Amino acid sequence: MANPRALDKRRKSIRNIRKITRTMELIATARFKKAMERAASATDYTRRITKLVGDLTRAGLEVSHPLLEQRDATNRAVLLVLTANRGLCGGYNGNVLRLSVQRKKELDELTGGRTVIEVSGKRGISGLKFRGIETGESFTQFDDQPKFEQVEAIANRYLEDFILGRIDRLDVAYTRFVSASRQEAVVETLLPLGKLDVAAAAQPTRGATAAAQSESAQQDIYEFVPSAASILEEVVPASFKVKLFKCFLDAAVSEQISRMVAMKSATENASDMIKMLSRTYNRARQSQITGQIMEVIGGVEALKS
Amino acid sequence: MATATKGNIGRITQVIGSTFDAEFEEAKIPAIYNAVKVEINAGGNKQTLTGEISKHLGGGRVRCVALGSTDGLRRGQDCVDTGAPVSVPVGEGALGRVFNMLGEPVDGRGPVNAKEYRPIHAPAPRVEDLSTNTELFETGIKVIDLLTPFVRGGKAGLFGGAGLGKTVILQELIARVASAHGGYSVFAGVGERTREGTDLWLEMQEAEIGQTGRKVIEQTCMVFGQMNEPPGSRLRVALSALTMAEYFRDMTGKDTLMFVDNIFRFSQAGSEVSALLGRMPSAVGYQPTLATEMGALQERIASTRKGAITSVQAVYVPADDPTDPAPATAFGQLDAFIYLERSISEKGIYPAVDPLASSSRILDPQFVGARHYAVARRVQTTLQRYRELQDIIAILGVDELSESDKMVVHRARRIERFLSQPFLVAEVFTGKPGEITPLADTIRSFEEICDGKWDHLPEDAFMYVGSIEQAEEQAKRMVAAAAKK
Repeated sequence: MANPRALDKRRKSIRNIRKITRTMELIATARFKKAMERAASATDYTRRITKLVGDLTRAGLEVSHPLLEQRDATNRAVLLVLTANRGLCGGYNGNVLRLSVQRKKELDELTGGRTVIEVSGKRGISGLKFRGIETGESFTQFDDQPKFEQVEAIANRYLEDFILGRIDRLDVAYTRFVSASRQEAVVETLLPLGKLDVAAAAQPTRGATAAAQSESAQQDIYEFVPSAASILEEVVPASFKVKLFKCFLDAAVSEQISRMVAMKSATENASDMIKMLSRTYNRARQSQITGQIMEVIGGVEALKS
Repeated sequence: MATATKGNIGRITQVIGSTFDAEFEEAKIPAIYNAVKVEINAGGNKQTLTGEISKHLGGGRVRCVALGSTDGLRRGQDCVDTGAPVSVPVGEGALGRVFNMLGEPVDGRGPVNAKEYRPIHAPAPRVEDLSTNTELFETGIKVIDLLTPFVRGGKAGLFGGAGLGKTVILQELIARVASAHGGYSVFAGVGERTREGTDLWLEMQEAEIGQTGRKVIEQTCMVFGQMNEPPGSRLRVALSALTMAEYFRDMTGKDTLMFVDNIFRFSQAGSEVSALLGRMPSAVGYQPTLATEMGALQERIASTRKGAITSVQAVYVPADDPTDPAPATAFGQLDAFIYLERSISEKGIYPAVDPLASSSRILDPQFVGARHYAVARRVQTTLQRYRELQDIIAILGVDELSESDKMVVHRARRIERFLSQPFLVAEVFTGKPGEITPLADTIRSFEEICDGKWDHLPEDAFMYVGSIEQAEEQAKRMVAAAAKK
């Protein structure tokens, strides 16, 4: 039996851990709500604009846009990995990393090793570094409320690179927010845009699916002023930016949820452990006392005879 | 023993449990450790009770520890001083036989044909006679060879709480070592189950020594003083066995093996009679002379320049508390210390050796070589780190660990399982044949696991295999079995 003092010390340290995890759980809950609102309001906009682009392309217009074109050969690809800056959020970072390492391999086969990984989040940076994967650009400025301006700057760079042919494909690995109880790590291809169908974009909000379907069922008829080409010129890049922004928002929400869940279970585990340690401690203490009393009594009895 | 003469008769004056007092003529008081004999008639059943003088009370009175049952003993009975301590038969004639503590055969094969008898009390070898050789003693059990290598001519202790497999490991060692061993073996059964003794005896009659066609029992003496015996018998049975082992060491010069199961019962028996002898109980109720008794026994189990005694002793750890005085006293006497841990046996990993609590004097680059030492330390460091992380894993989960810690956990879990091994004596239970893994294979296997060469194998593939190649095969079989389903 371990000595009571060591047990007590261990119990104290676990109590401290529980204090921290509980606080983190509460903070994550508060942040999650805020992030959730932002993500929800962005979802509708994203869906609509994606649908618009989809409709436009499906409308059989002659005009084409470089962002929508499928390229015959993928010579250079970029994989953007969205992870958190901080840990203590369960499998959140690990899942995204695992998936992106896998996708990186697939892309490398396609491009013959000319795939650049760009990472957001300190956890991702260190995780990839440990796995010995070289990374290109990396960002740490995104927290639980990513700003559109920040994302736009990155998006503009990708757009330029893509149009100039410096890259042929852009994949984003992030955690998609499905519902408050379900988030999944996914890799999506954002460029070229045409690869993404409308249904996939509409999927995130389950409840809205029916509405989305009825919307797409009715064939909208567009009139273009001044011309279709100029509108596409405007709408297509915007759609890409919004989608990329949505990825960042989803990642942020998922991070907070993961942290909330992870911290909740950590707090529960710590409580269980404290309970167990207390029991062992009490037992050890009691047996120590019993032992000592027995010795004293034994000594007295022995002296009597 | 000048005062002791044949035919020196005294009278019983007091009987206290398993001790009794006797009165002799003051001038003829028998010496300490002398055996006295009493004829007793218990329910029409005539028996001779032997007692051992353990204390002079003054005025010709002595206090004796009964080496058998005191049932039927009465005050006023005559008791005869034999003039010498209990003596047991030694030498070739004792081989193949089973004795009780008094040196009487109990295997029902008639009287012992021994040329010589020796008293069970003897001084320990002198310092200048002790051998200074330090050589590794290979057992073919991975965890023991790697982390707690035995010393040839040294003492090894198997510590463990109830039901962790001390006796199984001891029997396994007998099966591995005695059957490949050219010298003699002595087995002392101290206060354990009689059934285990019988099992062992029957097993030894079947097992052969190498390819010689001779049975293991022909080279073995067994001495039993099991649970059912009174404390006096359990207190002295180890000495009887030791006396036989000492003879082989001193007279034949061959390597002798001595197995003791269980040395804790020796201390326990001592504590049972201690209070009756009028000693004040000491820490945790043990006898105040605990360390003295243990020292007197252990110091005799030594290797001298004439020959070596390699001994393996099982030590029961009461309530899984190794700080209990009895195991703690035994601990200091040993060269190799193997601690069996309940949490490991609960995982189903046998032998349940705790790789961090166990140690050996010769796990030192000077004796085992730099490579063996380095691998053993790496294994321990990995497991140590894993143990430190266990609290964090329990609270936060594996995902929160840093990448390098995840790797440590990954390997530690494989090492932990790889420390298990199928036993020869457990074959009937597990259905897996025992594995004897050569030391070189053991070192190489663990080195490769630490290097990460086998990270891809599933954890279960490491359970109950010999060398790492068998783990690989097991992994393939597992894949094949999964494919069939």
